[in-house]
Amino acid sequence: MSTPGISVLDGKYMVTMDMFPQQSREFNQIYPFFEHLKEGRFTTTKCRECGAEPFPPRVLCPECLSTNLDWIDWPTVGTVVEVTEEVVGVPLGFGKPPLVHALVDLQGKRTFFVRIINCREGELKPGDQVKLAVFDIDPVPQEMGREVVMVPRVFYAFEPVK
Amino acid sequence: MDRNVCVIAGGMSKWGVREGSQRDFFQEAAKACYDDNPLVKPKDIDGLLVASAYTERTSYQTHLAPLVAEYIGVKPKNVCARVELLCASGSSAIILAFAMIKSGQADVVMVTGGEKLYTPQKWEVFYSELASVDHDWDGSQGLGLPPPVFAMVAKQHMKQYGTKKEHLAQVSVKNRRNAVHNPNAQFRKAITMEEAMAARMIVPPLTLFDCCPITDGAAAIILAAEEKAKELTDRPLVYIRGTGQASVNNMSANMPTWTTWEALKIAAKQAYTKSRVEPKDIDVAMTHDCFTISEIIEMEDLGFCEKGEGGPFVADGQTDFGGKVPVNTDGGLLGCGHPFGGTGIRQGIEVMKQLRGDAAQQVPNAAIGLTHNLSGFIAAHTVVIYGREP
Repeated sequence: MSTPGISVLDGKYMVTMDMFPQQSREFNQIYPFFEHLKEGRFTTTKCRECGAEPFPPRVLCPECLSTNLDWIDWPTVGTVVEVTEEVVGVPLGFGKPPLVHALVDLQGKRTFFVRIINCREGELKPGDQVKLAVFDIDPVPQEMGREVVMVPRVFYAFEPVK
Repeated sequence: MDRNVCVIAGGMSKWGVREGSQRDFFQEAAKACYDDNPLVKPKDIDGLLVASAYTERTSYQTHLAPLVAEYIGVKPKNVCARVELLCASGSSAIILAFAMIKSGQADVVMVTGGEKLYTPQKWEVFYSELASVDHDWDGSQGLGLPPPVFAMVAKQHMKQYGTKKEHLAQVSVKNRRNAVHNPNAQFRKAITMEEAMAARMIVPPLTLFDCCPITDGAAAIILAAEEKAKELTDRPLVYIRGTGQASVNNMSANMPTWTTWEALKIAAKQAYTKSRVEPKDIDVAMTHDCFTISEIIEMEDLGFCEKGEGGPFVADGQTDFGGKVPVNTDGGLLGCGHPFGGTGIRQGIEVMKQLRGDAAQQVPNAAIGLTHNLSGFIAAHTVVIYGREP
């Protein structure tokens, strides 16, 4: 696949153009989050010293600076606080407009601003329940010694509970 | 050492969908800045700070400050660096230049900022915006251009405080009207309430005129120690009195509240305290009207009106000429556009002109002015207060 105007980029993957994070052990110390996602679990890190549950997951507790952290499960069902539907300006890779987002109260843990998928325009309203939805995304070609290995990846959104 | 710091020159390129490159606009801004005060020569400038957020993504250029210095004839000897805080890059650079001069580390610092955001294909701008929020956690939810975030803010402000779509429209009508008098603004055509109310939908309840545009352009301003300023300008002196910059969260899940911006209240308190003024003392303000709802909340959290009263405050004309505090007298982001690194500098230039008494639309006897930027996912707030007295 040639890239017009930049012929040297023939078929190359560019991390600077990737809309999702790196998920392999080599490029991300919180890679277990993504391993858990593959099992349908939504997790974060909990500090063994002070009990804080920061999100996004960390390698350092921002409250007490401990590095003694455990993975814990958070709820996968939440309640919609408010909904927006983006008609203009949807970035590449996020489908045709409208792009639906909701502010979701995850049972008091945090209020997340998340993408809603598998949802018709006008379908979602405040008070509705949504659940975690995990899906495959493009793998990353990663050099492992002299080999290039395709590293599989997943990501998450939420979807209406039907 | 603790010195007073003055603003002695400022100018900007034409802003908008521009023909040209990033470095073209930095040269145009520097020319306008030098023309504003012919007494200042490049040899007088001992520091250069360059504010730009997207230089690597849209111009494939890092190490920007020495490049700009070479193009605008400056040979800095005390500081030559780039500053980045997305939409508040410019005012962040002003804060740092102020601190360097105040502490005696530099005497005369040019702060310039700007962006070339339009690329040969527009999709790339929207795509690059995924880097503006927490890329791994918010960008990956499709939060590129920010209208969905501010639509969420507007919906909740409407629900909690009864703010109406008409209030939002009044902000855009005012700021577009002010931009008519600004030759460098992106939009120089006034709009009516009817046009604002009937504009095409972007993210409900935000329509086209509720959103600032994507903009190319640059601006430049020169700060100097008071004793240097007295040599280098024959215009009334304008001082920076105090500053504040605060952040209490970055990722959306850690936003304390959506309709009261805690970091803004903290930054404002810091700036008011250091400047020894109160909200009622502010004669003119440039606040970050990236969206109409932003200006309404900023009126509340800067202390210009009570919480929840931002909509009626705007509707009563209190932010227009003759009101309690004229806001965005040069057109703001909604009228001038928003090349991220340039915006805080554009605001500083307008406040400098208002306090010197030579603004295109002058607030009579303006003595104290304020600028405010928000940046990212409403994640940081920056406030700078200027005065005719130190």
